[in-house]
Amino acid sequence: MEILQRAAAVAKEAELYEEFREGISVSFRGGELEKVKSEAVLGRALRVIVDGKLGFASTAGEEEESLVGAAISSAKHGDPAPFSFPRLEGGEPVQVLDPEVQKLSPDELLYWGTEAVRAVKEEFPEIIVDVSLYKGESTVRIANTAGGEREERRSYLGMFVEAQHVKEGDIWLLWVGRNVRKRSDLSPEELTARVIQYLRWGERVVPAPGGKPPVLFTPRGAIVLYLPLLVGFSGLSVHLGTSPLRGKLGEEVFDRRLTIVDRGTLPFGPRSSSFDDEGLPTGSLPLVEEGVVRNFYYDLRAAVLAGVEPTGNGIKGGLFGGGFRSPPTPGPRNVLVSPGDGTLEELIAEMTEGIIVEGVLGLGQGNVQSGAFSNNVSTGFVVKDGKVIGRLKNTMIAGNAYEVLNCALKAIGSEAEWCYGFYKSPPLLVEGISVVTR
Amino acid sequence: MKAFVTEALRRVTADYAEVRWEGVTRTRIAFQRDQLMALESSNESGGIVRALIDGAWGIAIFTDPDEIPEKLEEAANLAQVSAKHVTDRIRLATVEPVEDIVTVALAEDFRELPLEEKRKLVQHYNELILGYSEEIVSTNVRYTDSVRRVVFANTEGTYIEQEIPDITLLLAAVARRNGDIQQAFTSLGEAAGYEFVKDREEKALEVARRAVELLSAKPVKGGRYTVVLDQELAGVFIHEAFGHICEADFLLRNEPMRRVMQLGKRFGVEALNVVEEGYIPGRRGNTPYDDEGVRRRKVYLIKEGVLVGLMQSRATAAATGMEPTGNARAVSWEHEPIVRMRNTYIEPGEHSFEELLTGIDYGIYAVGAFGGQTEFEQFTFSAAYAYEIRGGEIGEMLRDVVLTGNVFETLRNIEMLGNDFELKGGAGGCGKDGQSPLPVTDGAPHVRIRDVIVGGR
Repeated sequence: MEILQRAAAVAKEAELYEEFREGISVSFRGGELEKVKSEAVLGRALRVIVDGKLGFASTAGEEEESLVGAAISSAKHGDPAPFSFPRLEGGEPVQVLDPEVQKLSPDELLYWGTEAVRAVKEEFPEIIVDVSLYKGESTVRIANTAGGEREERRSYLGMFVEAQHVKEGDIWLLWVGRNVRKRSDLSPEELTARVIQYLRWGERVVPAPGGKPPVLFTPRGAIVLYLPLLVGFSGLSVHLGTSPLRGKLGEEVFDRRLTIVDRGTLPFGPRSSSFDDEGLPTGSLPLVEEGVVRNFYYDLRAAVLAGVEPTGNGIKGGLFGGGFRSPPTPGPRNVLVSPGDGTLEELIAEMTEGIIVEGVLGLGQGNVQSGAFSNNVSTGFVVKDGKVIGRLKNTMIAGNAYEVLNCALKAIGSEAEWCYGFYKSPPLLVEGISVVTR
Repeated sequence: MKAFVTEALRRVTADYAEVRWEGVTRTRIAFQRDQLMALESSNESGGIVRALIDGAWGIAIFTDPDEIPEKLEEAANLAQVSAKHVTDRIRLATVEPVEDIVTVALAEDFRELPLEEKRKLVQHYNELILGYSEEIVSTNVRYTDSVRRVVFANTEGTYIEQEIPDITLLLAAVARRNGDIQQAFTSLGEAAGYEFVKDREEKALEVARRAVELLSAKPVKGGRYTVVLDQELAGVFIHEAFGHICEADFLLRNEPMRRVMQLGKRFGVEALNVVEEGYIPGRRGNTPYDDEGVRRRKVYLIKEGVLVGLMQSRATAAATGMEPTGNARAVSWEHEPIVRMRNTYIEPGEHSFEELLTGIDYGIYAVGAFGGQTEFEQFTFSAAYAYEIRGGEIGEMLRDVVLTGNVFETLRNIEMLGNDFELKGGAGGCGKDGQSPLPVTDGAPHVRIRDVIVGGR
């Protein structure tokens, strides 16, 4: 932490963030191994407060000599710092390191990949299978001039299986994947079985019902509805007035069956950690309780601007992360949506005629803040008389996430699954979404 | 660096190996409403090595330059592990070794300007937008400049040093009326000097005006329409819908896809020509040499409606019996090169904008791009804003216009190409396989397409 001392010689306050990522990944293309890759990347970011003004700089590699100067120069031209760096203390350690992940060898990853290809090909020989697997550890260290230093090693492990059905006039690309921190939370067999199940469902293309049929979002498909919320619950968006949730704290904005918690302390949650990227303890933050808006998530800056306490949600790069290069902004940790009743199969059985949405194109490409969505359903299925009868094509869904989660929710399923490495949701059955098809 | 890298490459045991070491100098300034969210001028560096043994890749990514020799060995070891599992071996197309140094000359070199001056300009644009109307509640004004200095060397004797400049400006306004929130933006990017971002006051005000206008715009009604795309959106269309499937890595170990993308096949109307080009002065997609050290080639993807070319890396070229085209690009030192676009465009046609509108009873004029995404034949792209076309005339403003379709059908449904060609690089970039945002340029004239599905309520 010599950099911090050098910075502190010039700056009244300083904070050093260090991240060392070390891991292995393997990729299969067209059913065969393509590459094995290692990475060992050390990145640093320095924030300083000089004459009351905030500065930021980041670096990697041989350029670290320039870090202190760059941060000081940034502060010189910067704006008054809205906050002071806090003393780094408090909070309970959260379980984020699994020695079993560390023990995994490239050969084991290769075995999982090979098995996934074999299993899919056995039933669907014509399907092209790509698989990627990765594992490793990132060590994050934060220290600041207010005192204290935090360091944590966190495991990561992930697997993605992609299946391509390629026929003249009908190309379909399907993927499933999972990011975890704990070896036993990843079941390669389960992921592969999911791919096979979808391939079975999708063997035949059938016309989708148009108009406003019931739409069943699988846990992954529900990202369409959650993405606007994840932006809208940012304390910064609320403060800036770009969130429709501004002024709605304590109000019933959503269906009463909806309860959502952001839990940074969840043992081995894919985005769990003992402290956030500003060194503050993470916590458990109810966002929605029985339809009522309870909290927004804050980093240091947004908290001071809004006149509230920070919630330990300062994440470099915010929602999607950005690593050492990005300054922290408010972002969710592990977003947990409370399950309701009914397995996926039971929800399907309830539908007379409707569609299932598993994957969409064009996510986030639109007026996300307002809640509006309009997406091509890239992986979706058609349900008739309680049974999946085939796969849909050339179909778009459109609506507003805030409206859907307030007045169009028909049922919340019972089985929650991790998706996109940051939320865990059950399937959602909704009505009133516009479906346009050919 | 040269002697050190060359010696390390001489020592490694592999069929092929390469080293890429990059230094990046970057400035970022971002305002959201009254908050200076980023103000930074930083330097970083890092490297990646690849080794090919018995047709399998081993790759290592690292930040300590002293470790180049060890990392080459590590990559070779990983390639050995990998090779045991491979039967369909990767080969590399032959290219002549190159020694070259490419430096950049910028009209007004942003590297020499103080951070203070850049901050003032960005703040000025931000204040213009914020002050436009009471209904503007927030902004997103971002400036970036960077120079990527790439050293590339391989075991075949290629040694290239090149500088790649990039400058972007994003001007976005968020307007709010009661519960409704709308945003408008313009997104600019070039491989140019600081002059590119100056004198953009008109753009800033236009963005603010549009955000407020969008509050009164009608949401589009879903359905099938004849659409006229402006140059920017038509550029995004050709990039997203068609460009991506012409990246030949999709054809590796994928026989069915090779049959779909057979050269000589008719893909569109006679008037349609689509080009992929590695160098057009000042453009963001410029790639004098790609990240495999291959010199750029201009590629016609579609000529007179027929598929005549694809974008290639050395591996895809070898597998398909084609020439490498210089399209193997990496977004940074943290990634290996994959097949990517550079400057991609539809060549202009013959029609005036008025001719394109003529005969459309009820259609949509879609302008600007929020973005787009593709999964082979399926694509979507979102217009920043749109207008009705009624009886051949531009009508009321529309919002939430997202277009989708099947690329093969849509290319066949192109009815007319305008004569008003424009090239545009945005402030964002292209994403693929976790590598984003890669600087690219898209281009097109106005394009009229029938039977496009538009999502909506």
